[in-house]
Amino acid sequence: MRHSISIFWRLKDNHYKIYVTKCRNCGRASSFKRLRCPYCGSQNIEYLESRGFGELINYTISYYRTEGSEQYLPRVVGLVRLDEGPVIVGEITDVDLNELSVGARVEAVLRKYSSEDPNGLIYYGLKFIPVIKK
Amino acid sequence: MKYSGFKSGIIGWGAYIPVYRIKAKDIARLWGFDERITDSLWIEEKAVAGVDEDTVTMGWYAARSALVRAGVDPRDVGAVFVGTESKPYAVKPSSTIIADALGISTRKLSTDLEFACRAGSEGVRIAVSLVESGTVRYGLAIGSDTAQANPGDVLELTASSGAAAYLVGPADESVAVFEALVTYVTDTPDFWRREGSRYPAHGEGFTGEPAYFHHIVTAVTMLMSESGLKPSDFDYAVFHQPNGKFPLQVGRMLGFPKEKVLPGIVTPWIGNTYNASALLGLAKILENSKPGQRILVAPFGSGAGADAVSVLVTDKVLDRVGRAPTVEELLSRKKYISYAEYAKFRSLIHRNLG
Amino acid sequence: MVGSGVTKVDRHYDKNYLTLIDEAVSKALADSGLDASDVEYLVVSTAFSETILDQADPSTYIAQNLGLKNVKTLTISSGEVSGAVALDYAYSLVKAGRAHRILVVGFEKMSEYPSWVINKVYAKILEYEVEGIKNVTPPDYAALIMSEYMRKYRVSREDIVRWSVKMHENAVRTPHAQLQFTISVDSLGRALRISEPVTMLDSHPVSDGAAALLVADESATKKTNREPVEVVDVESSVNLPIYLRDDITYFSATASAYKKLSSKNEIKLSKTTALNVYDTYDIYGLLTIEALEICGRGEALKCLSEMPYLNVGGGLKARGHPVGATPIYQIHELRELMSGASWVRYDGDISLAHSMSGPDNNAWLILLRRWV
Repeated sequence: MRHSISIFWRLKDNHYKIYVTKCRNCGRASSFKRLRCPYCGSQNIEYLESRGFGELINYTISYYRTEGSEQYLPRVVGLVRLDEGPVIVGEITDVDLNELSVGARVEAVLRKYSSEDPNGLIYYGLKFIPVIKK
Repeated sequence: MKYSGFKSGIIGWGAYIPVYRIKAKDIARLWGFDERITDSLWIEEKAVAGVDEDTVTMGWYAARSALVRAGVDPRDVGAVFVGTESKPYAVKPSSTIIADALGISTRKLSTDLEFACRAGSEGVRIAVSLVESGTVRYGLAIGSDTAQANPGDVLELTASSGAAAYLVGPADESVAVFEALVTYVTDTPDFWRREGSRYPAHGEGFTGEPAYFHHIVTAVTMLMSESGLKPSDFDYAVFHQPNGKFPLQVGRMLGFPKEKVLPGIVTPWIGNTYNASALLGLAKILENSKPGQRILVAPFGSGAGADAVSVLVTDKVLDRVGRAPTVEELLSRKKYISYAEYAKFRSLIHRNLG
Repeated sequence: MVGSGVTKVDRHYDKNYLTLIDEAVSKALADSGLDASDVEYLVVSTAFSETILDQADPSTYIAQNLGLKNVKTLTISSGEVSGAVALDYAYSLVKAGRAHRILVVGFEKMSEYPSWVINKVYAKILEYEVEGIKNVTPPDYAALIMSEYMRKYRVSREDIVRWSVKMHENAVRTPHAQLQFTISVDSLGRALRISEPVTMLDSHPVSDGAAALLVADESATKKTNREPVEVVDVESSVNLPIYLRDDITYFSATASAYKKLSSKNEIKLSKTTALNVYDTYDIYGLLTIEALEICGRGEALKCLSEMPYLNVGGGLKARGHPVGATPIYQIHELRELMSGASWVRYDGDISLAHSMSGPDNNAWLILLRRWV
């Protein structure tokens, strides 16, 4: 079994949607639903759902082979600054390697993270693509 | 049975077409077809789902666009249906994954439907009934497929990937209200896939007259006679489109001029998206329609059956077109791939797994 | 520290972990003048043996195989910094008087499985529920950091790989180093890319190795042939995940650990201080030098040629990176340097080992001094 059923199921919120954790104590925002603010540790936080749009601020084209995800190579991994403020890391897909550029506007889409085991679960999660609607 | 005074309509619609395209002539050439076959079918290129895409991911995108266009809170949706013949799981519904990923209410009806290419459309009919009966306020029907075809079979020239989604709800919130709906279904074995079989089989010529043409013509004729509508009452007629030629042909048979059929044809540029086929054609028409126009939609599914649906466009449509990517924007988003990449993306190449 | 010994770092297909450890321990004991019966405590460091070797708590079986009786044993698995943590633990025990002679052993067998399996194991050093599930791997972060550094400070790939060139020069003079050959900047054009722009020339290799250290109090210092080296202090800090950092070209955990260490112990590092840092990728070595305030931000490449006692063993790049053992190799190399056993003579009073998890997610600093 590639991933634990219960771990993946519990993480649905953070992988089917992008949440932003806003800290009422220090004012900073971070990506993902968190229990405490990662900057100041406060539990005085609130969640908001990101629309999923942002700017690609950095990326790499990866050839690093890890068992079970070879079919997705070469992988593009990028840092995206969400419109809501914080940065998130994720895979950039549907993209021509020659057309990638820092500053591109991207949107989050649901895709397969892995599905190599023909008898196992399919793991879905968000990746980023260049925005369709210009 | 005759219906009148419908209280439901389309609140929002969405489409999704993968970015990759392969030229039909490349497929034809590889497998020893005379390239002219692509002209006789009127198929130029088809859309190919990427390695990380499937019925669920495409259906999700189309459904999200439908919800955004509708401006409806996902928690108010009371039913989610996915019509597909390429379920990622033989057992485990795609509809629940899409529903949770969109934040749709957990108190809902939800199931995956199978009827070759018309299950998505059956989902629309069921959503209409649920809304009309007051069982739900909004019902979401999705048609999504990563269609399979035996490599080297003529079907491979057209079998493609895509998704469309329709949110059905109260008529007074709709961009297009339902006027008449008819479904005509018989046991006609024109195209099938056995459990465990990788690719479907079909009767070639038999898929034409006894299947596609007979069922669409019958359903549409039934609708016309029950509703009293004539071809001249319609501004558009969009049909299930396994290739570019069939819809033009059936349109002719039913008395629709070419100009009313062409706007709804998308297959020549994206292939046959199976459950999304007619529904993507309808989306394209809605995106170019004017209030007061009347559209005939006639999906078909092998096995076999056809729907005939008449919708009347309202003034709410204009405002909602631009809220999400249109079919035209999706058509223009494309990257050509080789047969080798196509084989990799569609898992045609045997690899040891695990 | 009264004794140390290491095996050559290599892909030891013909040796299992017990054989490698036995070799290193024999050398360390001989170096210290002690024998096995003097050892009261065995602290073992390994990052991945539960996964790679299907062995939970190898310390028990290592003790059994070394014929150690009546010892306390434990295994420390703390990701890429396991060895530094193990050393801190041993040091703390001795300082507290809870033990007098401790054998610290670090080991790893990264060559035991093919690369596509080991790469997945190594990727566990990042956060599973975020990077693991999304297929974001350690070299991807090194690549993002390298790109950002290049953009910000206008340096090129050829500039950065000079770090690796220097590491290989040092490895050639180090008998236990894995890659004892020189490389040139010209090889960059043909080098296999791992994660653009990081190539094989920028990255640590796949390594097996075992390193042993005797950590003791005065009860053992007379027996060793060499000048003992003492641990002055150990400090550590944790950073934010990469994607939450305001500046990914600044190793703030390393910097923060250094600030704590230097103020507590009134020391300041200079270009001529003996250092052994984690150049998991060449760019990490450069950022570490800057975080340790040896040069200014963006200036590390300029300092490189003025640092004769930097990673004399060849660093992770050329000496190798048998993960759980690496910090112990670092301590061994600094000890050799400070006791005149290295290829270069060092007269400085202090030296520093730096160990790090991934891109400065967790940074450890170990300050050493000649024991008087």
